[in-house]
Amino acid sequence: MSTVPDVDLNYDQAHLVKMVNQIAANVPNRHEVPEQVAAHLRSFWTPEMQRDIQAIERDYPEVLVHQVHVALEILRRS
Amino acid sequence: MTVLDDQHDLGTPRVDSDTIVTVLIDGRPLEVPEGTSIMRAAAQAGTQVPKLCATDSLAAFGSCRLCLVEVDGKPGTPASCTTPCSEGMSVRTQTPRLDKLRKGVMELYISDHPLDCLTCPANGDCELQDMAGVVGLRDVRYPDGANHLDAPKDESNPYFTFDESKCIACSRCVRACDEVQGTFALTIAGRGFGSKVAASDGVPFLESECVSCGACVQACPTATLQEKSVIDLGVPTRKVKTTCAYCGVGCSFVAELRGDELVRMVPDKTGGANAGHSCVKGRFAWGYAGHEDRVTAPLIRESIDDEWKVVSWDEAIGFAADRLKSIQSEFGVDSIGGITSSRCTNEEVYVVQKMVRAAFGTNNVDTCARVCHSPTGYGLKQTFGTSAGTQDFKSVEKADVIMVIGANPTDAHPVFASRMKRRLREGAELIVVDPRTIDLVRSAHIEASHHLQLMPGTNVAIVNAMGHVIATEGWVDRAFIEQRCDSESFRAWEEFIRLPENSPEALEDATGVPADQVRAAARAFALASNAAIYYGLGVTEHSQGSTMVMAMANLAMATGNIGREGVGVNPLRGQNNVQGACDMGSFPHEFSGYRHVSDETVREQFEALWGAQMRSDPGMRIPNMLDAATVGEFKGIYIQGEDIAQSDPNTDHVTEALRAMDCVIVQDLFLNETSKFAHVFLPGTSFLEKDGTFTNAERRINRVRPVMPSRTGLAEWEVTCALAKAMGYDMDYHTSSQIMDEIAAVTPTFSGVSFELLDTVGSIQWPCNEKAPLGTPVMHVDEFVRGKGQFITTPFVPTDERSTRKFPLLLTTGRILSQYNVGAQTRRTNNVVWHAEDVLDMHEADAQARGICDGDWAEITSRAGNTRLRVRVSDDIPAGVVYTTFHHPVSGTNVITTDNSDWATNCPEYKVTAVEVRPSSKISV
Repeated sequence: MSTVPDVDLNYDQAHLVKMVNQIAANVPNRHEVPEQVAAHLRSFWTPEMQRDIQAIERDYPEVLVHQVHVALEILRRS
Repeated sequence: MTVLDDQHDLGTPRVDSDTIVTVLIDGRPLEVPEGTSIMRAAAQAGTQVPKLCATDSLAAFGSCRLCLVEVDGKPGTPASCTTPCSEGMSVRTQTPRLDKLRKGVMELYISDHPLDCLTCPANGDCELQDMAGVVGLRDVRYPDGANHLDAPKDESNPYFTFDESKCIACSRCVRACDEVQGTFALTIAGRGFGSKVAASDGVPFLESECVSCGACVQACPTATLQEKSVIDLGVPTRKVKTTCAYCGVGCSFVAELRGDELVRMVPDKTGGANAGHSCVKGRFAWGYAGHEDRVTAPLIRESIDDEWKVVSWDEAIGFAADRLKSIQSEFGVDSIGGITSSRCTNEEVYVVQKMVRAAFGTNNVDTCARVCHSPTGYGLKQTFGTSAGTQDFKSVEKADVIMVIGANPTDAHPVFASRMKRRLREGAELIVVDPRTIDLVRSAHIEASHHLQLMPGTNVAIVNAMGHVIATEGWVDRAFIEQRCDSESFRAWEEFIRLPENSPEALEDATGVPADQVRAAARAFALASNAAIYYGLGVTEHSQGSTMVMAMANLAMATGNIGREGVGVNPLRGQNNVQGACDMGSFPHEFSGYRHVSDETVREQFEALWGAQMRSDPGMRIPNMLDAATVGEFKGIYIQGEDIAQSDPNTDHVTEALRAMDCVIVQDLFLNETSKFAHVFLPGTSFLEKDGTFTNAERRINRVRPVMPSRTGLAEWEVTCALAKAMGYDMDYHTSSQIMDEIAAVTPTFSGVSFELLDTVGSIQWPCNEKAPLGTPVMHVDEFVRGKGQFITTPFVPTDERSTRKFPLLLTTGRILSQYNVGAQTRRTNNVVWHAEDVLDMHEADAQARGICDGDWAEITSRAGNTRLRVRVSDDIPAGVVYTTFHHPVSGTNVITTDNSDWATNCPEYKVTAVEVRPSSKISV
């Protein structure tokens, strides 16, 4: 579900990756996963955490599941 | 201020009847509900009929023969306690004939009772003594003969003695144990002259099944069962009503003192949450407040490697403020934050979150509910519209089917459990969903009709399977849904829940529960007139904690079990003020009343009142703060009444984070595991010194009144205000009631609350506002807070934390009756006689396979760490699962729990940790 591939992340980064992948795996409406992930991050994550996960996406895109990439794109566009 | 004459004993319980009858009591007419006893009617008319075996917390027994009366047209002298009033009945309670009979009865009692009133610990507080006076007994004519005056005294219980020589065999203690507590530990052994009270099979109290709730002591009319504190200190001389500081039941107590010395805590008969009952913690385990370990002066140190230095309040506050300001100037405004405590009052919590938002200028505030009931907040808000249990505790008396999920009320919420057990003895059906065979599954006069003994981590699968049965077998309450719920969300849920993958058969392998058991339980739940759900941390502390809360809400809505007495979705909160701490705006994304910080209108309200700019972005949660600390981005924290180094998961990570900070401020009663990493220690006040309010699990706001002066010289909120001021933000209150007035002004659900109202009516359940000036016992009656109830699909996603070849067992954690959370309070009381150490419960097959015997030490290893515990071989848990508690820091339970957490709220997944257990030769950690 939220297994992080073996890349060089610090504890904080690894935890963010695990959290966001887990959110994507669990949001209720499976037809609108990216939208719900984006909404969740907007509601509950600090701007800095949101920036950090975007940075991780740039450096290690493989650690995030597909729906998270789409969700982050939604956040960037909003 | 505090009314205390409301503890008056009317002799027999209240009777509820729509039929009112008129009786004459000593010639005075009186209207009472039909069925009311003559004794109670007389008491209501102001006439106290002499009594010994009767008390209004117990059903009438009619054994002492002291309460005899005369009734016109009836022969003899019936007992007033067992004789109900009927229309036109004329009763005389005082006649020469009755006087003679009562005196004769009393003479017999006293003939076998020590005549030591002047030196008896109950002198002045003894019903036998009072009644001897009331009936005018002046001498005893019977010569010396066989008696019980030399009977032995049982002093084994740490809190009370049993002095058989003073016993009058009235059975009040036995009946209290049966009817009030529901443990059935006591009995009258023997017959006739040989009759005597016995605990279990005649063993000392400490070795018996007695749970030391104190109900028997409370019921005893003599000094037979007597608090040791009264024996040691004397009969109390003044009383103050207040609220217990242990679990989320929030029992009301009368603190009885001599001067400023607390003698005993007596459960308040008028307490809305407890109705005169108590447990061993609230009743007896308050000694920690005066324990020698209490720190009463502020402490500071430059480095955590230095010794503590005792300083003045001014110096400590100045030191803390300088450090925090210095951190913010170097690392930014968001490099500091705070944690509020569910052990503190609403007022204390409110000022801490206000300090963080207004003085620190950040939303980095969180609360210890993060690690317990944050999924309740998320799940119930999504489905019903607000973060709160739906019922009052009394509601359980109307439930026909009670489903207890992931909770162990007899240990963790014992006073509510007694209420629930009474309903179960009356015939309500019980469904237990728990990996462990908790006491409720089978105990005295109680047996669960369904025990779904699921594997840890599969709650959502079980409740989805129940929903599947209800949806596919036609048990959905469509009328309720049409009227009360969002139809589109219901259609989506129904489509989802009917999928074959949600059937009990499909989920059997995952849950370990046979499908037919799930189907039977689902049918029982769906077919009940009133079905109620009660749940605890066994629901929330999972990777799908929030999903599970929503799944239960779906189940309640689908079966129409919301919005009246006897039903609902009810979180059993762990700490006394979890509900209140959450209500007060402790979460980083919400102001008080659960309003998101991004709501401009709400922000403007706070900005206008507080005179400070409010941030619109959510702050960091506790785990986010700790993560940021480990990478040097979070440097200072104010921790109110919380020992995160013991209570939070993955201890190594927590301590690494604390060690990385430049300013850790701990406000607490005792130096603790967290304070080992602190630079400032601000001594806190015990509940006996606090002035404020707690809000319990049923949203009941209760007053916490200062029983004695603060041992630190300051209220905790005064300390917080001083720190805010030193940080440059003026935060002034003269009294804690002013803080509540401000809470009421900014929080719609609290708008009608004030200390004045609480002191007048006793307690109030929020919402308390113009629509509900005296509060709201049952929520969502005509409509949900959010309008229409929202169904939410809840796919089961197995946790990452699975048993493997390396870690083949699943560890789950919980609490026991005598201890409370991390044990900071209860470990400093005599409660340690029941639980001197945490142990690891292990199924016999798992123990044998590893060569481990009962009592052996074992090493428990997870991917997070390892610790050692003594093993107790137990059949309360299934093979493949091990269980322990976390009441003693030396146990290091959270050294092995992981950083897995609920997907929505980051509530740690304490209930599932894959471990291996191996024999250990070492006898200490």
